Amino acid sequence: MLKRYRYKSLLMTGLAVYMSLIAFPSYATKEVTIAVYSNFSSLDPYDTNDTLSQAMAKSFYQGLFGFDQDSKLVNVLADSYTVNEAGTEYTIFLRKGIKFHDETDFNADAVKATFDRVTNPDNHLKRYNLFSRIINTEVINSYTVKFTLNQPFSAFINTLAHPSAVIISPTALAKYGKDIAFHPVGTGPFVFTEWNATDYVKGKKFDQYWKKGLPKIDTIIWRPIIENNTRAAMIQTGEAQFAFSIPYEQAKLLEKNDKLVLVSTPSIIARYISLNVTKKPFDDVRVRQALNYAINKEALAKVAFAGYATPIRGVVPAGVDFAVDYGPWPYDPDKARELLAEAGYPTGFSTVLWSSYNHTTAQKVIQFIQQQLKQVGINVAIEAMEVGQRVARVESVPSVDDAEVKMYYTGWSSSTMESDWAITPLLATSSWPPKMYNTAYYSNPVVDEKLQQALLTNDRETKKILYKEIQDQIWADAPWIFLLGDKQLYVHSKNLTGMSVMIDGSFYFEDIDLH
Amino acid sequence: MHTNGSTTIDVTSASQGQVRTPWREFWRKFKRQKIAVVAASFILLLIVVAIFGRWLAPYDAENDFDYMLINEGPSMAHWFGVDALGRDIFSRILIGTQLSLTAGFFSVALGAVVGTMMGLMAGFYGGWWDRITMRISDVLFAFPGMLLAIGVVAIMGNGMINVIVAVSIFSIPAFARLVRGNTLVLKNMTYIEAVKSIGASNWTIIMRHILPGTVSGIVVYFTMRIGTSIITAASLSFLGLGAQPPTPEWGAMLNEAQADMMIAPHVAIFPSLAIFFTVLAFNLLGDGLRDALDPKLDQK
Repeated sequence: MLKRYRYKSLLMTGLAVYMSLIAFPSYATKEVTIAVYSNFSSLDPYDTNDTLSQAMAKSFYQGLFGFDQDSKLVNVLADSYTVNEAGTEYTIFLRKGIKFHDETDFNADAVKATFDRVTNPDNHLKRYNLFSRIINTEVINSYTVKFTLNQPFSAFINTLAHPSAVIISPTALAKYGKDIAFHPVGTGPFVFTEWNATDYVKGKKFDQYWKKGLPKIDTIIWRPIIENNTRAAMIQTGEAQFAFSIPYEQAKLLEKNDKLVLVSTPSIIARYISLNVTKKPFDDVRVRQALNYAINKEALAKVAFAGYATPIRGVVPAGVDFAVDYGPWPYDPDKARELLAEAGYPTGFSTVLWSSYNHTTAQKVIQFIQQQLKQVGINVAIEAMEVGQRVARVESVPSVDDAEVKMYYTGWSSSTMESDWAITPLLATSSWPPKMYNTAYYSNPVVDEKLQQALLTNDRETKKILYKEIQDQIWADAPWIFLLGDKQLYVHSKNLTGMSVMIDGSFYFEDIDLH
Repeated sequence: MHTNGSTTIDVTSASQGQVRTPWREFWRKFKRQKIAVVAASFILLLIVVAIFGRWLAPYDAENDFDYMLINEGPSMAHWFGVDALGRDIFSRILIGTQLSLTAGFFSVALGAVVGTMMGLMAGFYGGWWDRITMRISDVLFAFPGMLLAIGVVAIMGNGMINVIVAVSIFSIPAFARLVRGNTLVLKNMTYIEAVKSIGASNWTIIMRHILPGTVSGIVVYFTMRIGTSIITAASLSFLGLGAQPPTPEWGAMLNEAQADMMIAPHVAIFPSLAIFFTVLAFNLLGDGLRDALDPKLDQK
């Protein structure tokens, strides 16, 4: 009897403890965990070229300009700007009363310190090329700063809105120097607390954030979870409240879960295979066109992306300023064989396809390409590279003669939303690795020339004509196999609001909240 | 007539029974073990599939695809279903049998030959040769097999041949130890002394008189080891170090199945079952062989 009573009281106590525990969270701090698809390469937005790291760094940093939820250009730390007649001088008027996390005032000196750092080639920052047009950053007064460019550059404000163009606390820059990558100090909604390289990046609410009432949550945790199934599992168990990206294969499964919201949004991320035009047989335009004809893009969308992708319709992704729509490159294996025969490869050839990603979707893509090209007689050996291999064997190869890359599956997000950044880094002669990402080693003087001209004018009509001619030429030369624009899939728990994935694959989380 | 006939048979069997060749003796004991016989039959079937798979497979394992049927489950047309790239899984498993068996057999064979030679030498000569061999074996044993194999493949590069070499390397110490132990026992036997006394060379003694005595142990271990090696080779392919796409190696198929197994479990189940049954069959056969070959077990 006694034993029984004891058992009962124990059970009651246990229950009470349990109740208090589950009741607790509603008063607890609001903590949001965001599971993302890749490791962060750096917390210094100027020294990384992956969208994800920059998007995450927006927890701590802000730019002068930015894009809102609908990818519209908006003022952030800048209040307004003027540009001189020649288009070479941009005067930016700054917002007042903003503080960095370390109590330093945000002002013109901070802007100057930030841009002087990136425009100094001795600092070897990865984003140097994006800002190399700035020849001088001048403090006019405390809240006015003037950028002088080496030539007119009509897309300059877009450049300042690029996710990497953030303002760093000058005090922190002086204190940490190169180590700023490990101690981000900005004006953003969260104060950096901890970075455990492969595990998480943590930030806590910045109490003196200049936008009143924000952020609404206390802690933000970014967790790189590389394995697709693990990431999808984390959102289902509640370990994470937001997961990006979601494996396409699991979209149907997650859609059925009534605690979660699955969202698919368009992207400006274009997937393509660059063909090294300096190497046989890709030096022949007929071969390059044949490869484009040989791939069934609709089927690829189905096989690798579970239908969440659409064939590319031009050189520049739709949605980016001055993009020209040619319609998808038709799938016609007979034509492909014909062109190959004309080019002197009636029985095909053997080659190598590298992938710049090694996730499962990319693995499927390259296997699919292998399967498709086999149909027209081309034997492809495939290899998916991890980041280190990719940098060593493709991106930092010193010269074209050392380049071993033949076919290279990769993608590009035109984060400034205009055509120059969608074409120049990938196809201009000046962008050959190791400078930029022209992995096709494509070089066309006419294209180079017109790209320059387009930047020199502020007249939209002239720009439109120039960019059309450029895209016509590239589409005809086919230095890439134009594949797909993928849709982005992400999942968040029902009680999370105010966070979304933007068209360029970065995040909007200004109003993030947990209910 | 009838009586005569049966008498004749009795006589024959009796006279044969008197000539108990090791082979006959083995067969007598082996066929009593039903499970081992079933396992052996399954392995024979696998060997047939491995040889004739190319003609047995209903579809081309690499180049027949149907994008309308991606991840479809088993059906009359596709017994094991269709994979994420629209290929027939049944055909891929049939073709894959050859790769797995070849990898399993050759990696163990290579390890067995080298290991046996090392073991014979170590056991027979003893001394520094014995110590070196056994210390090398200890070092190799200390590594987890998989890690060692990954290390070897990392140095030599990806590919099936390198996987075979990698797996064989970690089979070596096991055979060396086994054979050394047997050799130590055998070399002190009276018949070896007899052979020595008539002036046979060491080589003759090792190859003609000691090696045959260690064979039963080798055969048992060999069979068991094939199972392990198939798993290791498949694991290496699973990690992307072995067979490269689109080769239908079972481990590589599992690797490819990862993304889809939540929505289409059959893409992972069938290659897993193929590995499971094959390895199980080799292990059961190994058990049966041990029972049939071990003279100590005969006494009960």
